[in-house]
Amino acid sequence: MTESSEQELKDRLSLIETMIAEGRRTTESWGWAFVLWGVAYYVAIFWTSLGRFPWAWPITMVSAVVLTSVLAARRRGNHPGTTRSRAIASIWIAMGATMMVFFPALGFSGRMDQHIMIGVVSAMLATTNAASSMILRWKMQFACALIWWATAVFACFGKSQQLTIAFLAAIFFCQIVFGIYGMIAMRRRDGQGVIYA
Amino acid sequence: MPELPELNPVIHGKLRLALLSLLSGIDEAEFTWLRTKTGSTDGNLGAQLLKLEEAGYVSVEKKFVQRKPQTLYRMTETGRAALTEYVQALRQLLGGAIGS
Repeated sequence: MTESSEQELKDRLSLIETMIAEGRRTTESWGWAFVLWGVAYYVAIFWTSLGRFPWAWPITMVSAVVLTSVLAARRRGNHPGTTRSRAIASIWIAMGATMMVFFPALGFSGRMDQHIMIGVVSAMLATTNAASSMILRWKMQFACALIWWATAVFACFGKSQQLTIAFLAAIFFCQIVFGIYGMIAMRRRDGQGVIYA
Repeated sequence: MPELPELNPVIHGKLRLALLSLLSGIDEAEFTWLRTKTGSTDGNLGAQLLKLEEAGYVSVEKKFVQRKPQTLYRMTETGRAALTEYVQALRQLLGGAIGS
């Protein structure tokens, strides 16, 4: 085998590896959803702070679910599914469904208070982010899980005002900043361009 | 001396190989996504996908989503086996040269 044909075969092998990795790399495209939910949490918190609005959280959360579903459906055509992306999506959907069932029940039964709400939300977000980061081997997302775990623990011991600040900070770093980071990472990757025509 | 394997000519084409490798890692892909990932033109991409379809390596599904036509490609079991064979043949041909 000549040196040039050997190089050509090596290029083919490298092409296979690159393309398989490229096909599987789809999860960062969900950065927008993190930002959307971060903004939704802020809207609900701000709305609640204006006075007694028991429907602030349900209305904001349902709106965020509808918006996420519509945007996800519109983007689905461009992002093919993989076993890994299905696994991650199922974790988030299960978490969302649990929240949608559990929190209204907690609210209507009169057992909801700020500490319980923030503690449970933070613990659930920590679990979901941790599971997702382990599947993706994504350290940045695991860092978000650690922040959420810390917030969940703080919800048990912190004072009301301190807890609000901690929750707002966790939303800012783990939803807004992490979401924007995910979107930038995707844009950088797409900008590299792959040409095998 | 063992005989060196021949490389499957249907898969060996650079764009066809890229397409099969892309499809091997996902459930299904739309034509436009494949075009973006490969940087190919519509005509060339369509022609190469047709060759893969004729060889039985990919299956195609055409449907309408919100009144817009959508063409989805999936790798078949035959395609997966052919790609695996191709990679094995490639490794055998390269032998000790891999990684050097």
